[in-house]
Amino acid sequence: MNLRIGISVMLASFRMRLTTISRYRGQLVMDIFIPIVFAYMPILLGRSAGTYAASNFASNTGTENYVGYMLIGSSVFSIVSNAFWHVAYWLRWEQESGTLEILYLAPTHRVWVVAGTALYSCVRGLFSSIAAYLIGSLVMGLNPFQGEFLLALLFILVGLLPLYSLSLLYGAIILKVKEANALVSMMQWGVSFLMGVFFPIAVFPPLLKLVALLFPPTWMTNGVRSALLGVGYFFNAWYLDLAVLWAFILVVPFFGYWVFSRTEISIRKNEGVGQF
Amino acid sequence: MTSPVRTENLSKTYHVRARKGLFKSEKRSVEALKGVSLDVRPGEIFGLLGPNGAGKTTLIKLLTTLLLPTSGMAWVNGYDVSRDENKIRASVGCMLMGERGLYWKLTARENLDYFGALYHLDSVQRKQRTQQIIDLLDMEDIADRMVESYSSGQKMKLAFGKALVNDAPLLVLDEPTNTLDVPSASELRAIVRRLNAEGKTIIYTTHIMTEAETLCERVAIIDRGELLALGTVQELKASLQQENVTHIEGIISSRSAEAVRSLPGILRATRDSLDSKEMLTVVSASGKESLPQIIEALTRSGAVIQKIIPEEMTLEDVFIAKTGRTLAEDTRQANA
Repeated sequence: MNLRIGISVMLASFRMRLTTISRYRGQLVMDIFIPIVFAYMPILLGRSAGTYAASNFASNTGTENYVGYMLIGSSVFSIVSNAFWHVAYWLRWEQESGTLEILYLAPTHRVWVVAGTALYSCVRGLFSSIAAYLIGSLVMGLNPFQGEFLLALLFILVGLLPLYSLSLLYGAIILKVKEANALVSMMQWGVSFLMGVFFPIAVFPPLLKLVALLFPPTWMTNGVRSALLGVGYFFNAWYLDLAVLWAFILVVPFFGYWVFSRTEISIRKNEGVGQF
Repeated sequence: MTSPVRTENLSKTYHVRARKGLFKSEKRSVEALKGVSLDVRPGEIFGLLGPNGAGKTTLIKLLTTLLLPTSGMAWVNGYDVSRDENKIRASVGCMLMGERGLYWKLTARENLDYFGALYHLDSVQRKQRTQQIIDLLDMEDIADRMVESYSSGQKMKLAFGKALVNDAPLLVLDEPTNTLDVPSASELRAIVRRLNAEGKTIIYTTHIMTEAETLCERVAIIDRGELLALGTVQELKASLQQENVTHIEGIISSRSAEAVRSLPGILRATRDSLDSKEMLTVVSASGKESLPQIIEALTRSGAVIQKIIPEEMTLEDVFIAKTGRTLAEDTRQANA
């Protein structure tokens, strides 16, 4: 299969998912408001902690702007969560609705269909997260364009490929164990914890910190916070942190693809992809 | 000419976990297909007949590369199922999941367009092919409505249309008339015949005997993973038809019955009264060839013949003879 055909399949998959979600407009509105509500809970806790909350927060994070810190955390988490739901859960959804077998009946490599789904998820996730960040900033009285907005965006864009590769890996697990809701929900809590959605991972014990640093969304979140709020990069320079995300690009997609391909073969050897 | 489908000793074993209470389970092997060897000829409608759980769908999934065989070999359009999956997928149109294999939030046109893209048609080809299929299935009125609003029969029709997207030389249709009402099923069978007349080879699975009998040139009977019989419908019937049964109604005396009994090749001739009529049931060993002698013997002995009813063997009889059960019985049990 040549590249032109592959891209055409990817765009068809992208278009198909956009058409489908256009028939659930309420969901698109919810996508924007959920990160704001999610951030509001710890923000209200901070406000209730009184006058010294900001200075105490700054001693651990490097910024007094805990409102921005939380809002950025929940907005990046929204992208991460979308990636897992839209790719990992999507596989399960196709399996349950009977269309996964149809995809496997076509002479198209699944990676192009997955790429189309990932592209759709990126567009939807980026749009809703940026909208949530802008509206949230407006509601909470923040300047959304403080710091280096484009650099923050670069951290997100570079982090997307390893992120979606991780979600493909997770999708392989879901295909194998045939359970999505509980696994994705459980993963969401784990992911939000590891990436430091509302707190710096500096507060983790060393072993847990190491695990968090092996997780690409942790670098995305810290990169965005550092670019916008100046909380400090892990390696004290934006290009070094960005290089780590690039390094993830060299490893994670191949690993995710390898695990997914192995799972596919194993499933075809036994019950088949349609069995749920 | 390459055989559209050929299998040699094709077997498939599933490994399943049988639950033993809340936390315990046990690994079990289920042999879904046991050494099936068959050959589908170019341009024929080949019926796969068997009850639920017989192994028909497993065979189809192996042929369409959804599953890998445990042992044995299979070739589809000359390609090896274990090695040339994409070539097979491009050369087969498949209706497998019935109404489930569709995107319900899309319209029929959007579904067909998407499936067309998966089969590498460009946008112009997709538009043309989509319209052709919509016209063929007479779905113009509902083509731009979301599939979720369709009746079960309309969804089945669209799933059938999906199998036509890549205009493949081999069509694999798994129970395509399920959930269709009588006129729609008959309409779909007419389309299948038309596609076959245009040169497509068709593998057609069904558990409806009359459907297989009227549509298929050759039929394979599969049960419990084994291929029990394979041949044309006539061949399968003939393989059982050692005794020929004919019912003769009219005014038939016991002397006439005796005259028939004395004919060579007659095994039994039983006289019965039915609603003030006499009925003679004659069982002969020589097929329908003995019928002229029977008529002659009856008329010579003074009988008045009003009706001759030859007992026709059906595919259902063949199925019962091969499996020891009726298909309806099996299907009922599987659905219970």
